[in-house]
Amino acid sequence: MMARFLAPRYLAPRFLALLALCTSVLGAPAVAQDGPLRLEITEGVIEPMPFAVPTFVPGGGTSGQVAQDISSLIAADLSGTGLFREIPASAHISRVTSFSSPVQFADWKAVNAQALVTGAVETDASGRLVVQFRVWDVFSGQELGNGQQFVGTAAGWRRIAHKIADQVYSRITGEGGYFDSRVVYVSETGPKDQRAKRLAIMDYDGANVSYLTDSSSLVLAPRFSPTGDRILYTSYESGFPRIYVLDVASVNRRSLPAQQGTMSFAPRFAPNGQTVVYSVESGGNTDIYTMDINSGAAQRLTSAPSIETAPSFSPDGSQIVFESDRTGRNQLYVMSAGGGEARRISNGEGNYGTPVWSPRGDLIAFTKQSKSRFHIGVMRTDGSEERLLTASFLDEGPTWAPNGRVIMFTRETQGAAGQAGLYSVDITGRNLRAVPTGGGASDPSWSPLQ
Amino acid sequence: MRAARRWTRPKAEARSAVNTGQIISGAGHIGLIGWMMFGGWFTSRPLDFQVTEVTAVSYEEYAAIVSGAAVQDDAAEIAPPAPLEPEVPQDAPDLTSAADAAPETPMPDAAPETAPDPVPQPPAPLAEAEVSDEPPTMEQPAQDMAALVPDSALRPQQRPAERVAPQQVDPPEPDTAVDDVVREEAVPDEAAETPREEAEATAPEAAATEIVTEAEQPAPSGSVRPKARPNRPAPTPEPETQTAEAAPAPEPAPTPAPEPEPAPEPAPSADSGGIEDALAAALGAASETPAPAAPSAPAGPPLTSGEKDGMRIAVQNCWNVGSLSSDALATTVTVAFEMSQDAKPIDSTIRMIDSTGGSSGAAKQAYEAARRAIIRCGARGFALPVEKYASWRNVELTFNPENMRIK
Repeated sequence: MMARFLAPRYLAPRFLALLALCTSVLGAPAVAQDGPLRLEITEGVIEPMPFAVPTFVPGGGTSGQVAQDISSLIAADLSGTGLFREIPASAHISRVTSFSSPVQFADWKAVNAQALVTGAVETDASGRLVVQFRVWDVFSGQELGNGQQFVGTAAGWRRIAHKIADQVYSRITGEGGYFDSRVVYVSETGPKDQRAKRLAIMDYDGANVSYLTDSSSLVLAPRFSPTGDRILYTSYESGFPRIYVLDVASVNRRSLPAQQGTMSFAPRFAPNGQTVVYSVESGGNTDIYTMDINSGAAQRLTSAPSIETAPSFSPDGSQIVFESDRTGRNQLYVMSAGGGEARRISNGEGNYGTPVWSPRGDLIAFTKQSKSRFHIGVMRTDGSEERLLTASFLDEGPTWAPNGRVIMFTRETQGAAGQAGLYSVDITGRNLRAVPTGGGASDPSWSPLQ
Repeated sequence: MRAARRWTRPKAEARSAVNTGQIISGAGHIGLIGWMMFGGWFTSRPLDFQVTEVTAVSYEEYAAIVSGAAVQDDAAEIAPPAPLEPEVPQDAPDLTSAADAAPETPMPDAAPETAPDPVPQPPAPLAEAEVSDEPPTMEQPAQDMAALVPDSALRPQQRPAERVAPQQVDPPEPDTAVDDVVREEAVPDEAAETPREEAEATAPEAAATEIVTEAEQPAPSGSVRPKARPNRPAPTPEPETQTAEAAPAPEPAPTPAPEPEPAPEPAPSADSGGIEDALAAALGAASETPAPAAPSAPAGPPLTSGEKDGMRIAVQNCWNVGSLSSDALATTVTVAFEMSQDAKPIDSTIRMIDSTGGSSGAAKQAYEAARRAIIRCGARGFALPVEKYASWRNVELTFNPENMRIK
């Protein structure tokens, strides 16, 4: 009882001493600021960066329309990423009349342009376009990189604009662009129960559509080679699903060797461009194989009684991610490129499928079906940090942009009149937008940068 | 009188000396201005320019190059492609339709159209269209084609706010200009003693605290969901969806997708800031050792936590990491700079003094984003007390994007 009363009396001096010690320790930095003011910034904002692309200066016999077209396409490329926001020409204060004139940064600061692209277009003696450009950091008044020029045919002005946009994108973000690339996909026409499908190829933004096959036979899942010169796809041309390789330049194709009575499908190139990984269905069982595209020598990688399909190589060619229902539900697994034991990487609810390894090697995109909805998502290669980016009646078949920043996929609307189309989304889940294809489209495959 | 004379003489001498000084100064300035105007001072030095002869070829040229064939000048003149020599002997597969006429596995709907065809026909030569640089020539859709544009109800919805910021900001009023500061509309009042200028109302742009993907949004109401994943190789009509569309049955209320929400980040509370301010003031008053000031700057009390937070918030509102690469988002940079007494950064003094976590290229991108933030939000001066100039004359800001990677 006595101790209970004495305790506060004894503790009080100790508490005051401790308080004084804490006061002296904590107070010292606030009082004696002996150096610069040091602050840590851990929060920021995520918003499109305002930029301006004043119309490139035409010269040397080049029409102003060409300069306008190139400038507009560069701005459209950048704006389409969702990372940049164009400041319209109507808001510009400065007029760039000479490519070599000093930039009036104050005018561009006034309209809050943080990046500025200036350029000029000329036509040389041989009739080729010569396009010069510079990229500026407006608020620091410094040039990002050096001026550069591209030369090309007048008909290739779109590619020149895409290449410049790739350069601008790379200099600001620090990662490669994806504008000078193409997409091969399955063009779909007709009603849902009699849909005609054929391979089509287009620029990444939907321009320059052309067709690689006719619609006499069903085609599925085209996949670009690492160099973009060949395409693997599955066709029912023989009445049976079989893998074909198509040469983009000549549109010639040939089928890969296959055992009679089996179905081979879901092909993808290995990073070396000489090996194909694919699935073979035989006797109700589906397993994964690789084949040397030149010799035709095949190697079986899995031998489970379950369905293993949709294989995709890692960028270094050392691993393969695929889907399997060996546990009763479709899940994602990773195994060595030579086969062997696989480890499961997906652990969420629902079914996972169509995994695709990012060209940067850091993420795996996939389709997920959960609670009667389909999602496109990404996860780390070990299955961690899963994030669903989309949700709809039917989303599936992701493909990566060459820089690993954007995913394109198929979205199909419901009902008998449902239509498949292509959509793209940033890996953060922002900037979800439809890709213009002029008609039904599915199964996209993004080419490497050209 | 003598005293007055003593004072007037030095004044006259001083006046003479001042006149002489003014003359010398004037002549010097005139000469300097003339030298600057005519001596080529304002002649801009040509900037470095890297000329890269990159020839952008057309698609047919490119395709021909990668295939080793000769470059075609005109897509329309491309000869029909010669059949490629098969690289692999195709003796193993038997592609005759007889063997595949009755496959044991289910066939897709389109297969019956091709199966009766005894000899597989090669696709029509489409090389001209494929490699053409002409604008895309789209086929005219048939009457029975499905709609080209997806159902508007299933179109991706515009994100509620494109901007992600540390604090959520509601959309401003329609007539409100976007600015970093909140300001009410000011109307000139002639009756007021102190006339005030007319100014429009301003408010920050709407912002969310994190990225909300389409998958994280509640499921759309009235959506008829598929019962099972369609089998792509064997697409079949979906009578159940037609029935559902013809006679939409009342669905149970859609339950929002239970996506795991990240734990809310501890927001700095105003109360704690006030306590820290009071504590800092008390500590400053109780301290016996005054803070050392910069040699040429007036000494003053140290910055309070509230003042530091004010500058921190001002900078982070301009630190836009949306356009940074993944590598740059993994890079922490420390940027040092000096400020003038009006609390504006001196642009020429901004420099990166440290970086961790990324390559030199990533550090460069991260530094440029940090520099933009400092210059943009410091253009109007930070809210810092001038009497404490010695405390904030030199600043080192560490930009750590770790929290921004998981937005």
